[in-house]
Amino acid sequence: MDWQRLQTIDRRWIYLVIWLVVMVPLIVPFPIKPKASPPVERLFNYIDTMPPDKALVVSFDYSPSTQPELQPMTVALLRHAFARGTRVGVLALDVTGLGLAEDALRQVTAEFNAHALTHEDSIINGEDYVFWGWSTPAITVMLGMGERITKVFPVDYYGQKTESLAITKYIKNYDDIGILVTVAASAIPRSWINLAQTQFGVRLGCGVTAVSAADFYPYLNSGQFTGMLAGMKGAAEYEQLVADKLKESGRDWRLRGKGTEAMSSQTAAHLAIMAFIILGNIAFFATRRRRK
Amino acid sequence: MLSLEIGHADSDRYLRDNDKIILTPVFFRLNFGVPIPLAVLLLTTLLAPPADVRARDVPNDEGKNIMVTWSPSPDTDVTGYLVLRQTQGSEIWETLGFTGPLVHRFVDDGAVDGTPYAYKVLAQSQAGTSESEPSAWAKSSAQWFDTGTLPALIGTGIFAFLLLYFINRAKKDKSLFIRRISGLDAVEEALGRATEMGRATLYVPGLSTMSDVATIASLNILGEVAKKTAQFGTPLIVPNADPIVYTVAREVVKESYTAAGRPDAFNEDIVFFVTDQQFAFAAAVDGIMAREKPATNFLIGMFWAESLILAETGAATGAIQIAGTDAVAQLPFFITACDYTLIGEELYAASAYLSREPILLGAIKGQDYSKALIIGFIILATGLALVANIPVLRFF
Amino acid sequence: MRRRLPLFLVFIMGLFGAFAFFVPHPPVRQIDEVLRNDVIRIIGALSLVLGVGSIIRHHFIKIQRKAEHWPYSYITIIALVVSAVIGLFGGIDPNRPGILPTQVGSFSFHIQTIYVNMMVPLAATMFSLLAFFMASAAYRAFRCRNLEATLLLLAAFILMLGAVPFGRMISRHLPAFAEWILAVPNTASKRGILFGVELGVFATSLKIILGIERGWLGGGD
Repeated sequence: MDWQRLQTIDRRWIYLVIWLVVMVPLIVPFPIKPKASPPVERLFNYIDTMPPDKALVVSFDYSPSTQPELQPMTVALLRHAFARGTRVGVLALDVTGLGLAEDALRQVTAEFNAHALTHEDSIINGEDYVFWGWSTPAITVMLGMGERITKVFPVDYYGQKTESLAITKYIKNYDDIGILVTVAASAIPRSWINLAQTQFGVRLGCGVTAVSAADFYPYLNSGQFTGMLAGMKGAAEYEQLVADKLKESGRDWRLRGKGTEAMSSQTAAHLAIMAFIILGNIAFFATRRRRK
Repeated sequence: MLSLEIGHADSDRYLRDNDKIILTPVFFRLNFGVPIPLAVLLLTTLLAPPADVRARDVPNDEGKNIMVTWSPSPDTDVTGYLVLRQTQGSEIWETLGFTGPLVHRFVDDGAVDGTPYAYKVLAQSQAGTSESEPSAWAKSSAQWFDTGTLPALIGTGIFAFLLLYFINRAKKDKSLFIRRISGLDAVEEALGRATEMGRATLYVPGLSTMSDVATIASLNILGEVAKKTAQFGTPLIVPNADPIVYTVAREVVKESYTAAGRPDAFNEDIVFFVTDQQFAFAAAVDGIMAREKPATNFLIGMFWAESLILAETGAATGAIQIAGTDAVAQLPFFITACDYTLIGEELYAASAYLSREPILLGAIKGQDYSKALIIGFIILATGLALVANIPVLRFF
Repeated sequence: MRRRLPLFLVFIMGLFGAFAFFVPHPPVRQIDEVLRNDVIRIIGALSLVLGVGSIIRHHFIKIQRKAEHWPYSYITIIALVVSAVIGLFGGIDPNRPGILPTQVGSFSFHIQTIYVNMMVPLAATMFSLLAFFMASAAYRAFRCRNLEATLLLLAAFILMLGAVPFGRMISRHLPAFAEWILAVPNTASKRGILFGVELGVFATSLKIILGIERGWLGGGD
């Protein structure tokens, strides 16, 4: 075998294999049931046992380029909140995240309202959730929300006066927020800690891309983040926890989980990369021995 | 049809200390809606009012803020609290705002500095409201020093002193030792290679703005690199993702060409702006790498997820690559795909290293002593924390 | 004078920035806010004009000189002009039309349409290139050359296995071990690097404010 050639293989062969191992399992997935890791479990458990009068706030701080990885997280978080009847506030600090937030809200409210028999079961804008929209600069939003959210967002995304919404009575500032989860592909979660948590003591969770997750472990260890969803795997684990919860409460709706769906593709890609590394090392040692 | 509306009475509850017997109106309402008032004595349970209402100036701020705090009403059916304010000399109590039942503080952000105000808090429930005693008079004022920043001020003072001391010393003693940084030693070799091959040098000063110190550090290095490309006569390409950085980078390169005695070699097309969209910029730079095939790529400054996209494309074109960033998450990608990587603080030491100016090198020595101080503090604090957590040693 | 004026401005502005951090009094805060919000935005807006001018000039020069691949420069210039005109005059989406007709029947080419159907997929495509590049970089770089490289390789393997559900099938302790690597050794080394970085940032800022570091001005005196 020509080990030397294998060592300097044309990288396009590698690209081709990766393309195949990503694409094929997306089309023909193999079943994988994700098991929650501690940071995901901690976030889920906190939201699940939060006092009922406390709200969950989800901040869409990402742009469309990282949507495939981060959108499943926000969808799963919204499902969880609506499944236990928690009030939800939604905002975006990245202006391009507005459309993504609207998409997620529209999708999840439709899922719940499709099974709703009464007004109580329905998820209604202005009563069960509020979509504050976007405002800038981020520092003003983070600090302003500590005093009065309606001051930062006088009108919501749909142009309604936030003061007039029924939900506003229950979500006035950080004191009414059980946890704020920032989903981002940038350093914004750190700003939430510096400004919102340090100054107002609001509890925080985060959802981040796998590539940036290592950056946030120091904050997770110090307890500044209650929990963290890291990459597609974090999203898949949260989806599974939410699906189990829905099933337990007799709502086995089998909702589509894009994070879980991508798991077989991600597993195959990881295994392929490891196979490449092993192959590369075999070639490396074989060439070295021959040289000796 | 007659109906009796008695509202406040609650037969399930018994009298408590603070309950009073008061006169409550009772209406007989006829079916066509005309109320006939009758006054009767009824037992009405009142809410226990919030207690201990305190108002004080919010510290360390620019004034106009008074913080009101109170002990909550012991009643469990409180639905919220109304906060009222009275200005000294006025009889009127104005309503400031409403808080939820679990919140026991309110910031009045509309106070006029120096004017005394008193505050009252009204507990609200389905059964009615009850009012606290007014607080003492409080005035808001602006502070000249934010005491919360005192540790930062002390730290700044110590580090600034160390830096300035060593910079000053370096002016007299010019024999300062600085360890070898292979990434910077390779700069000359990499530029020499580009010259020999007759190909260009690509310099990407990161994707961040001027407010990022990593960008400024990168522009410092660009100055040194540009001087050398001017001397060697190597073509230089500097694409930018931020318009302000573009403007500064252009000036830096222009000045460097002048300083190297080659102002004629500078042309406006060396430094150009591409786009501030992250991946559009990555695509454009990848395109430059693939078309122009620069012999040397410098990727120095602040990078995010595009780091590997740039570095791998550069590696594929066979260029020597020198990267440098303080974005810790991107370091593994650069280390993997580039020939040399400036890790974290090496980026900030680079301009001193390249220019060999003694006073800049002195600053690095100051940094090292500051770091030693921090390490000392960490060891001390870790030791104390350990002592505090070992039961046998706790009495120390 | 050409050099002294920028150095003087940097000194004053740098000192003021530090001063405003410690002093919350209204006049200081107000000036600081004007500088941070308004002045920076004005400079940003003006430099954007310079930026757009730069990209147009860069591509015109290419077309003029018939440099390699010069026809592509036309695409850049046309795309720039078309999207600017639609963005400025064509309205955001069909619900908020502008003065230019940007709808033909049910087909709209508002700026939102361009953004969602061109920008978003193009950006996501570039981002997804990472999957390919990571694989090829890992193939070339992860070799057991020495002890450190072997340790690095082992850590990478454990993390990759821990990051997919397959890792749990091998051993139920594997994901926890991967988590430990991220939370303990990774965090410790990161904090170490960050201390150095922050000190470097501090020293560089101070050197610039005091005019000791002049590389950003093109060096020299």
